[in-house]
Amino acid sequence: MDSKRRKLLHAIGGTGVVAAASPYLSFPAFAQNTPLRIGIIAPKAGIAGTIGECGLRGTQYAVAEMNAAGGIAGRKIELIVEEETNPKDSIERLRKLVLQDKVDCVQGIVSSGVSLAMGAVAEEMKALLVFWDGTTQDGVKETLRNKRYVFCSTDNECEAVMASLLVVKHWKGKFKRVAGINPDYSYGRNNFAAFQALMKKFGVEHEIVAEQWPKVGTTDLTSHVAALKAAKPDLVFSSLLFADLPIFMRTSHGAGLMDGGTKFAFPGAGFQHTALKKPFTPEGMILGHNTLYFDHPNASPMQKKFVKEYEDKYKDYPNWEADRAYFAMAVYKAGVEAAYKAKNAWPGKEDIINAMEGVKVMSLGGPGEMRKDHIAEQTFYQGLSTHKNRYDFPTLGNIDTMYSTQLQKPAGMDFWEWIKTANIKL
Amino acid sequence: MTAFFDILLGGVFHAAVLFLVAAGLQLVFGVQKIVNLACGSFYALGAYFGITSVNWAVSAGVPPSLFLLVLLASGLLLGLIGPAIELLLRTVYDRDEAFQLLLTFALVLMFQDVLRYFWGATPQTLGNYAMEYGKLSVGDLQVPTYNILVILASILIAFGIGAFLQRTRYGRILRATAENREMSQALGVNVRWMYTTVFTLGTVLGTVGGAMVVPTAAASLDMPVELVVEAFAVVVIGGLGSMRGALIGALIVGLMRAAAISWWAEIEMLAIYLVVIAVLIVRPAGIFGKPIE
Repeated sequence: MDSKRRKLLHAIGGTGVVAAASPYLSFPAFAQNTPLRIGIIAPKAGIAGTIGECGLRGTQYAVAEMNAAGGIAGRKIELIVEEETNPKDSIERLRKLVLQDKVDCVQGIVSSGVSLAMGAVAEEMKALLVFWDGTTQDGVKETLRNKRYVFCSTDNECEAVMASLLVVKHWKGKFKRVAGINPDYSYGRNNFAAFQALMKKFGVEHEIVAEQWPKVGTTDLTSHVAALKAAKPDLVFSSLLFADLPIFMRTSHGAGLMDGGTKFAFPGAGFQHTALKKPFTPEGMILGHNTLYFDHPNASPMQKKFVKEYEDKYKDYPNWEADRAYFAMAVYKAGVEAAYKAKNAWPGKEDIINAMEGVKVMSLGGPGEMRKDHIAEQTFYQGLSTHKNRYDFPTLGNIDTMYSTQLQKPAGMDFWEWIKTANIKL
Repeated sequence: MTAFFDILLGGVFHAAVLFLVAAGLQLVFGVQKIVNLACGSFYALGAYFGITSVNWAVSAGVPPSLFLLVLLASGLLLGLIGPAIELLLRTVYDRDEAFQLLLTFALVLMFQDVLRYFWGATPQTLGNYAMEYGKLSVGDLQVPTYNILVILASILIAFGIGAFLQRTRYGRILRATAENREMSQALGVNVRWMYTTVFTLGTVLGTVGGAMVVPTAAASLDMPVELVVEAFAVVVIGGLGSMRGALIGALIVGLMRAAAISWWAEIEMLAIYLVVIAVLIVRPAGIFGKPIE
């Protein structure tokens, strides 16, 4: 896993030199005069509002950085931001961006419900679309097998796979009774099923004693916690990741569910990391920070610079959506510039798409690439929580890093079959 | 046995939260005959304003243990928006119910933007203030003292309003006005002032309720709609316009939900709406509602 990361860093080192030199490269005058228009569709309100806001900040940071360095292949970037709401309205905004605003590329989307519906429409419209998050999978089955215009993020199950592997690594033999509390939609259901499949694969003897499926946005989890407590679990696995996660932790703490050494694994905790205050979150929980762990002591200089500026500007610490948004912009930039270089003229959409396939970039959280089947590969971070830090919320005491080739199925493969047959290393 | 009491207390706590939302709805409908969809917005506004007030008070040197008083004060203060909203509602008092629903739904949407403007899209929480008063422990049973305070506050509010309506002169006039507005007006009751008072009281119930519950939950832009949906189940079961109905309805919904979550989590909402359907079939006006003529 580490050698893969090193190889990627070497490969990216080369492109980094090109990127650093880009202000000094000469581009035709006509190109420099017309800005590239990029449409962003991101949630601004509701349960995913925080996430959309953080992603938008990541995009704005990327654009400011790129524009300061000469833009993309000499053209400045101009953003047109629309709101992600339900699938129907979000698709209308995609149409508006493509047909009316005539954007060169659309990026964004957090909800899988929206991305699943929008992917097919973008393919039909031949609109270049790079997702920050979400998926075009129905459950764990890919619905757009031969994507041409749509580029997806890593599969949603990556964080559950990694958290499950850490459960095996740290706690195998130390628990038997397992309870799950996961959001009641495909993400939560698939994550808990993946956890169970991995326990089976690694021969971890366990028994599911309770399953809770609160609907997204539930703000009173008292009864759910009471039901979990009644089941007396040794381990609680939870993919809650919106505002319901801190509520769950606080309620669990109040009800005594966290007493007695119960273990907790939260693959999606990074979205809420600053809301998980120390008084109600014990040390030693598995916390997932996905593709950006803001406090990584060995983070790249670019991540450290971003986190510092983010903290200064917003008095907050970024979550992984900022990285996903940065990654989407970096992949597009790398694709455009590679196509431009190959053609020695401004490339068409098809040339850009061809160049984006297989492109490797350095994102805020670490190295990543866009697979030929238009699924991203990125670096993931999880670990055991600690209170030994300067914040009022837990961070990671020991950090596990995995590249997503170890966490998601390869092109065209069935997810459950992959779990059964993959040579996954702990 | 511990598990049973854990589940029971979970249900009663949810009932207390629902009652605080439904009480304002009931009071306003009972007197003014307006189905105020915006009652959930007052609740959300109280929650957001409560968080800001506590954070401000603590940073100004108020001891954290006094946060409950700050929350109550902020809820009461915010209730002052009631007269202004009531002024707006006067335009639809004598119009079709559809207009009233449209206007109060418009208020829900407008308040959502107000919340977004002042507090942003990010859900807000009050950290760990709910544990400021510690826990009550009996054997394995543990419950935050604050949750018990919320339950007691709801009971107190229910009996307080009941006593106000039944035992005071103003309460009797208020009930008489609810029965026959024209006759009350003819007898010299200042109906306009009465409506303002009732609506403000309904608003205060929402804002104080939101402020009180937020330490155990989170304030989010979605909460007005989510809670109102459940509050309507409470109202249908208990009977529209009845305060006793709100209390019993909230208890039924809260306990049904807790039981469903514990024994068959998938039917959490189905269980509640099966009761709603049963009540509509057996007693269309609700348990304490007046029969529909």
